[in-house]
Amino acid sequence: MTFAQGAFGLAGLLLLLGGLSGLLLPTTARRFLTNLLTAIGAGAACVGAIRVFTSNEPLSIVANNVLPFGQAVFEIDELSAFFMLVIGVVAIPAAIYAVGYTKHGLSSRTTQAMFPVFVLSMLLVVSAASMATFLICWELMAITSLVLVVTEHRHRDARSAGIWYAAMTHFGFLAILVGFAILSMHAPLDTFGVIGESSLTITPWLRSLAFLLFFVGFASKAGAVPFHVWLPRAHAEAPSHVSALMSGAMVKMGIYGIVRVCWDLMGLGSRWWYMVILAVGIVSAIFGILHAMASHDLKRLLAYSTSENIGLILIALGAAGIYKVGKSDALAAFAVAAALLHVLNHAVFKGLLFLSAGSVLFATHNRNLDQLGGLAKRMPFTMLTFAIGAMAISAIPPLNGFASEWLMLQSLFQGIPSDSAYRNVLFPLALGAMALAGGLVAATFVKALGTGFLALPRSESAAEATEVGGFMKIGQLLLAITCVVLGFGASFLSGLLTRTVASLRGLYDIEPINHHHAWMQLPGSSTRLSTLVIGAVLIGAVILTIVVLRLLRSPAKARVAPTWACGRELQTPRMEYTSTSYAEPLRRVFANVLRPDSDISVDRRNESQYFVQSVHYYLDLRDVIERRFYTPLLTFARKWGELGRQLQNGSIHRYLAYIMVALLCVLVIAR
Amino acid sequence: MLRTGKVAEAPIAPADVASPPQAKSFRGSVQLRHVDAGSCNGCEIELGTCFSPVYDGERYGVRLVASPRHADGLVVTGVVTEHMATALEKTLEATPEPRIVIALGDCAMNCGEFRDAYAVRGAVSDVVPVDVAVPGCPPEPEAIIAALRKVTQR
Repeated sequence: MTFAQGAFGLAGLLLLLGGLSGLLLPTTARRFLTNLLTAIGAGAACVGAIRVFTSNEPLSIVANNVLPFGQAVFEIDELSAFFMLVIGVVAIPAAIYAVGYTKHGLSSRTTQAMFPVFVLSMLLVVSAASMATFLICWELMAITSLVLVVTEHRHRDARSAGIWYAAMTHFGFLAILVGFAILSMHAPLDTFGVIGESSLTITPWLRSLAFLLFFVGFASKAGAVPFHVWLPRAHAEAPSHVSALMSGAMVKMGIYGIVRVCWDLMGLGSRWWYMVILAVGIVSAIFGILHAMASHDLKRLLAYSTSENIGLILIALGAAGIYKVGKSDALAAFAVAAALLHVLNHAVFKGLLFLSAGSVLFATHNRNLDQLGGLAKRMPFTMLTFAIGAMAISAIPPLNGFASEWLMLQSLFQGIPSDSAYRNVLFPLALGAMALAGGLVAATFVKALGTGFLALPRSESAAEATEVGGFMKIGQLLLAITCVVLGFGASFLSGLLTRTVASLRGLYDIEPINHHHAWMQLPGSSTRLSTLVIGAVLIGAVILTIVVLRLLRSPAKARVAPTWACGRELQTPRMEYTSTSYAEPLRRVFANVLRPDSDISVDRRNESQYFVQSVHYYLDLRDVIERRFYTPLLTFARKWGELGRQLQNGSIHRYLAYIMVALLCVLVIAR
Repeated sequence: MLRTGKVAEAPIAPADVASPPQAKSFRGSVQLRHVDAGSCNGCEIELGTCFSPVYDGERYGVRLVASPRHADGLVVTGVVTEHMATALEKTLEATPEPRIVIALGDCAMNCGEFRDAYAVRGAVSDVVPVDVAVPGCPPEPEAIIAALRKVTQR
């Protein structure tokens, strides 16, 4: 048994053991042991993944008699190993965090036991290498995450979130299933390699149909608009460590599916495939961030922001496909590398943001930004980690978001002066969308950090908050350190990205990013970036400024005084900006996209029309796609369901007649 | 204009009193925040005229600013009413040191004709320490500028 096989075997064993301990042990032991076993198991999987990169052996495991439809085939190549690292980098801190987070009321056997099984199912999905294995592991991942989402099933919102999630994940599963059925027409239920080879003989329009089905299925798991409606609900209602894992790792399984199936397996397709990916990416980016900007629920804001980042990743993948069709292989490899780096970075900073939001929720029991505030003094550590996550997601150098956003933008810029009309029109559009999304992300997170943490507390729940305990702090700290390290050391990841991209079909033997010490150089141009140098310069400039100011300052001591409030005597938190008011200008500007529904009604006194008794303000910001598309669809389906009820009226005679008619039809057809 | 040549008002001489001790640290540039503690607005009109093109107080280094945080001192008009007493104290507290308080007009100096009214706390010196006082009801713009020139020493 090689080292890598041993590491993966150990990971599987530890995660299963974690699941068992979650079922069998008493409450406190359960909390500690299950989550720590999950962390160590995920760590073992990461070690195995790194081993796959350092040695040159992709490994495969074939197990007979495990699955009903043939063998279970697992094969871990560089792409699988990369995604295992993505899963591990979120799972380890989330598991450590869960030890503290599940203290009050979330430590039921089901919740604790499902968590390691969820991590295991995601690791299995990225290593599955045959159709049956992939589908069964996919469904396992969906079911375990569903159970985790409805942890707080006593709340109506959590139940509703669970139903939406269940319906949409199975709709996606159906699409993927039919896609696989079409793709493996000539080699049913076989391994990926064989399916890939045999699929080259299928007619082009069937291949396109398969691509569309795969894309719909994987995009709905990834949370791309318009299949994203489950994401804000599920990620908001799930416990925070589960949200972190779902937003950080599970939506990336959709991206993994697109890269593995639509790129690696199916090979090169028509140009319009990748234009569809690009278009969906643009729409997701803009729509997602606008709803995040308008949201006053902290976790919904983060969930919509996930949708936006998935949009950015899809833009880069679409651009890669368009490059490949236009025979610019080096640029295609570069765009894929940029997308994969953003996958990793997004997992890290989104995980960090969700864990910090979870700490806020744990301390205040309140997700509503309009009622939070004043947490800077009460929860300084959480505010620091949230600030690091917010700066990372806004792509502020030298943190990790900057490197991957820069690479994605560069991958679009490099292809623009070109002979292809498609590139010249689409890529500037995509660049504009990315720039707009980038600006709105900064505004959104200024809102989240400012109204959530600064100023005075706007409610009792925020005023009574205290800093969270040790395990939760360790989880947040791990991810914050990872953000900083991945930011400063972004150029050192080039080797990892090169190995991963080089394992994809059609991109073998291409070095997407030239790596020279601390500098990343783009192929075929003189553009370079070194986040290490930028970081060092920034830190040096800050230190220099502090030193110079201290030297120039007058010897008088500084005096601490209350904030100037125009001499008001009565100063209440009610006078502060709320997150809804902060977002109002953008809500007005983008009203055509958000379509808010608002109403003001004023009640006046009976005695005189000039005296106001009360004012009611109503604002409805429900997702417009849900309102205009899904709700009518569900109403339509319900109506037809109720019509169908008339066929089943309880009369035995009618049922016997149905059976006879069916029998006659079968006899006629099968003659 | 070619016959008469340029004609302007004669510059106003500084007042015949000693400069306040803070004038040295201001070094000729004084930002002032105006506070109306309860006046009839007569002093405000005269103060506004001081910064008009005719009298142009800004050429002597004085400027009116919007926030006490930006100011070197306060210029207070009117008698201090009960309603504005706390606000005046808070405004002075918000002004960084070294700071100066100028009481403008008879009401600010000694309550003027509103002494013993029911809503009056007292003169400005009863609420905050006063460094410069400009008498008059209302004081002439020349008198105000003469006092300000002593503060800026320009």
